[in-house]
Amino acid sequence: MKFAHLSDVHLGFQKHESLQKIEQQVFEKILNQCISSKVDFILIPGDLFHVNIPEMRVQKFAFSMFRKVYDAKIPIYVVYGSHDFSPVSNSVIDLLAEVGYITKVTQAKSHEDSTISLECLIDPKTGAKITGLSGLKVGKDREWYEKLDRDNLEAESGFKIFLFHGGISDMKTDSSMDGDQMPLSLLPKGFSYYAGGHMHKFNHQSFDGYANVVYSGTPFAGYHADLEDNANGQKRGFVLVEFEDTVKSVEFVEIENITYEIIEVDANNRKAESINQELLEKTKDIDPAEKVVIIKVKGELTSGKTADVDISLVRDNLNERNAMVVNVSKNGLTSKEYSITKAKGANKEEIETNVFSENIGQLRFDYPELLSDEGIKLAKKLLSELGQPVLINEKKNEYIPRIRDNALGILGLDDDAS
Amino acid sequence: MDEISVVGQVVGGSFGDIVIRQKAGTDLEIGDLMVSEENGSFLILQVFSLEFGSQIQDKMQQMMSGVNLEQGVVDAQFYEPDFVNYVLARIKPLARVYRENNDVKIPKSLPSFFNKLRLITKDDLKFLQKEKDSVFVGYIRSGSKIIKEAEVWLPAEDVFSHHMLIPATTGRGKSNLVKTILWSVLDTNKVGALVLDAHDEYFGRSEIGLKMHPRAKDNLMYYTPSDPPVGANRLTINLQSIRPEHFEGIVDFSDPQFQAIRMAHRQHRANWVRELMVTDAVDAGMENTSPSRGEFAAATMMVVQRKLRLLLSLEKDEEGVVFSRHKVFDSTTKGLTTVDDIVKDVEAGKVVVLDTSRLGDEAELLVGNIIASKLLQKYKDAKASGELERKPVATIVIEEAPRVIGVDVLTTRNDNIYSTIAKEGRKFKVGLTAITQLSSVIPKTILANMNTKIILGNEMKQEREAIIASASQDLSEDDKNIASLDKGEAIITSIFVPFALPVKIPLFEDIVKEKGMTPESGKTKVF
Repeated sequence: MKFAHLSDVHLGFQKHESLQKIEQQVFEKILNQCISSKVDFILIPGDLFHVNIPEMRVQKFAFSMFRKVYDAKIPIYVVYGSHDFSPVSNSVIDLLAEVGYITKVTQAKSHEDSTISLECLIDPKTGAKITGLSGLKVGKDREWYEKLDRDNLEAESGFKIFLFHGGISDMKTDSSMDGDQMPLSLLPKGFSYYAGGHMHKFNHQSFDGYANVVYSGTPFAGYHADLEDNANGQKRGFVLVEFEDTVKSVEFVEIENITYEIIEVDANNRKAESINQELLEKTKDIDPAEKVVIIKVKGELTSGKTADVDISLVRDNLNERNAMVVNVSKNGLTSKEYSITKAKGANKEEIETNVFSENIGQLRFDYPELLSDEGIKLAKKLLSELGQPVLINEKKNEYIPRIRDNALGILGLDDDAS
Repeated sequence: MDEISVVGQVVGGSFGDIVIRQKAGTDLEIGDLMVSEENGSFLILQVFSLEFGSQIQDKMQQMMSGVNLEQGVVDAQFYEPDFVNYVLARIKPLARVYRENNDVKIPKSLPSFFNKLRLITKDDLKFLQKEKDSVFVGYIRSGSKIIKEAEVWLPAEDVFSHHMLIPATTGRGKSNLVKTILWSVLDTNKVGALVLDAHDEYFGRSEIGLKMHPRAKDNLMYYTPSDPPVGANRLTINLQSIRPEHFEGIVDFSDPQFQAIRMAHRQHRANWVRELMVTDAVDAGMENTSPSRGEFAAATMMVVQRKLRLLLSLEKDEEGVVFSRHKVFDSTTKGLTTVDDIVKDVEAGKVVVLDTSRLGDEAELLVGNIIASKLLQKYKDAKASGELERKPVATIVIEEAPRVIGVDVLTTRNDNIYSTIAKEGRKFKVGLTAITQLSSVIPKTILANMNTKIILGNEMKQEREAIIASASQDLSEDDKNIASLDKGEAIITSIFVPFALPVKIPLFEDIVKEKGMTPESGKTKVF
């Protein structure tokens, strides 16, 4: 007997048309492979979709895919992930569950003493017992685990699978993996397989009381950083598991997505000009045709603004040579001259004023109204305007011009002045 | 002052050793606090010695006793005994409190002669007000009487960055005190603590402990190698986190042995321990084809391997995978981020309790060393980038402190991270909370740097002398006082308290009963 485990597909994440295609192709390949290798069931522990209600294009695609699997009589068991959950069953996941293409495995009962008990559902063909809990944003699902009645679950006999969606600190392999992880000890013990979602790289480990804790990882990319990891050689795919009474084997099946080029430039102790030069030179050396090109500049410039590092020329050059997508990451780029000094204050208002007053001295402009106290006032007004939320029932195409006009008004400009 | 509350009267003595006559019917104790009302201020004084006084000469008393004992005179009595025989108490001034502004100063003058004294009350101790972000230590104690309304709070940031020493012998309430202190630390995120818990007694795995703090869920992290209870973390540290310098000042390696270790580190970088353990010592020592390998003898290599094997409890399975028996160290992919995670938690002002009860002495210190080194480095970096002010104070709680800051350790081996922190940690807001039975073996330079000492009972004279000699207040007359401290009684001497405060530390169980979390009720929504 065997089952497939995939997660963090993030259907609908990609904004670029060509990447949307890859996103769908990869998913289709995986499901086709599941059908051809005749898996008994498929587990998807969360973040199948990037949002709970994705655009119609994505939904149509998903329905057609799941229809195929349904016709092949392969059940799919899921929990919500942090991206596609809905507290009021208002997710496309619920729609798919309603028509019977997938099954949500969480069968929870809440008790008066605030504890939660979970029931296992039984896969009719294999007899495997399956249960799990959804993942919520910022680790709010932790409370469920803390209140979980684990004795009954642990006492359950047979081949048991637990689906979860969330970072497990014991599984971390990289300190930069920040966010809300929870300790493995929160999961109930004694399951044969723990199907995890949320961490985007394949990871398979076993611990005392917890055999086979597995993250299948994203099959393509669910965050921008995933593409960069792909470019650096991260393998993507899904997991095939063979089992009888216990797990016999756990195999990572790689699914190729696209080819990449990565251009990395270290900006430490350099000026923008030399970085622009290096970018151009490195661009020449690669063949970008039909590839995703990642450009990454990080470090601290000795002088000038970070905006002086000009990617547009490079981007144009790559696009002319048929690059599929050019992704630029300048998040790690700072400048000694224009680094923002943090400042303290008793409240938000005070902190904002202090940050502006500590940093405004760095600026060199010909417009006195942008400097000193006047500049601080202007900056605070602008910040407050830009922070205005969307009004109830206000549409995006009403909100954006409203904020833009107000901001321009504060700056004393009109639309044409830009 | 009404006559009923009078307990004695100043009859003589000198500054620091004032003699009072105890009023008949009162029962003064060593350590009692009393008050002498002065003009606009009052003096707080403390009894440090008690003796008999009598209007009848010694020889006469002895003769009377002879008559009483030897001749069987049974109804012999003193004429006006309260007047003739009495108790003299020797007291010392601790503080002068100015009524107008509750200002507390070190006294520099005697109380008025013949002044009548009374015992201290809660109203005299109003200056002990709780300030923001303080640590609760206990209640003011006058002799063995507890003044419950006078709570003692220490300024958390100050006391932890300036190091704390808890000298105590076994059974004097040391672990109760540490739990009481950590309970307050858990209240806020102003202090981060790394606690090396050699007896696994603070978290309360199966009994009352810190886990019952209402903020434990957010602020308390518990790492244990064995079967972590629900919500706790697994204490697994990947061998890749270990660097050769972590052994310095903790493990006795000879120079050639250290050289072999450094060589392995240079060759294999992060994987050096694993590679060193699977290297065939004979091959490595004998084979001269590689210049780096031939530099040390097979014997050296074998000793290094043996020491590491014992220290880290390492074994090899049949596939050559190195693992540790107690599972604290891992050579595969587990525990790669444990050290960083712990450091991050301490930096976030949390209390991180490491259950090191399964580890040997040296392995425990090594684990502490790996984490403390990283922590200190991060705080140094924060200082360099001007961000130190925003960080919480960090303290490292370590038991049997002489293991790392004892004279013999520091003279025979190199400095280790703990002694570095003791010497220079204050500049970087990193402090030690050192618990010890043997203060006398800690060098004076380090003892003097520990600016808060919470002294529990100690029957060893040599230890008391070391503590007294390095106290922040003059405790030269307190030797007997310290010797007579009962379980849970303590004296706090610190540059952050106005005078050496006698305190009673409450029972941790009582704190939990009063302030611990209550179980939730009501249904939880799951979707």
